[in-house]
Amino acid sequence: MLKGRVIGEVWATKKCPALAPYRLRLVVEQGASGASTGRVLVAADELDTETGRLVMVSFGSGARNAIRPGASTNRDLVCECAITQVIEGDSAEEDSERDVSR
Amino acid sequence: MILARVVGEVWATRKHRRLQGYKLLVVRPYCWYEPAHEAGHLVAIDPKLDAGRGDDVIICMGAPPRWQSEGDAMPVEAAVMAVVDRCEIDEAAFGPPRPLEFLGGPPPTLAVGRIRTEPIAPGRGRC
Repeated sequence: MLKGRVIGEVWATKKCPALAPYRLRLVVEQGASGASTGRVLVAADELDTETGRLVMVSFGSGARNAIRPGASTNRDLVCECAITQVIEGDSAEEDSERDVSR
Repeated sequence: MILARVVGEVWATRKHRRLQGYKLLVVRPYCWYEPAHEAGHLVAIDPKLDAGRGDDVIICMGAPPRWQSEGDAMPVEAAVMAVVDRCEIDEAAFGPPRPLEFLGGPPPTLAVGRIRTEPIAPGRGRC
């Protein structure tokens, strides 16, 4: 899993039909210090996360299981990144906010 | 998944037999998250969506591209899973002003806020 911050959204009409109910969000990776590394990935979002929130992103079959459990039945989901947790509080985040305000 | 732009197409006569009939696209990723693969270009198959040069697409890596085409025996690990209509980035959340950049080569950078829609200058996307 990877910690990141939701920075935006992607809209696509032509996409895998099984993913139609889910939003596709842009997430920037957060390093150990809480600062963003600048690496951006696209993750399916079933939690309706607000932009700007810190989240945990799962990869691979873990991501598909988060959307629909069943390793053999969720193969129609063309997806390998999903937002699985919205982080409420994090000491690293507080540190980085302190850095910004400085 | 990663965000990328289609910059070209690859044709090959001698290729794996299971790849016959599939379109192979050359894409340039924006800000790839996987450091082990920080190449400027990536080749992805386009099983269903018929993406063209200049389109922004979402590339899915790993096993799903195989299931989307012909199953576990397919020799692929990257596929186009969506063609992007619109993309919005919140500048405040993205942090310090930083354009969304292509990796590798001269960066046709994108203004934060909206993915640029004009095609890359001719010649830039060639392998």
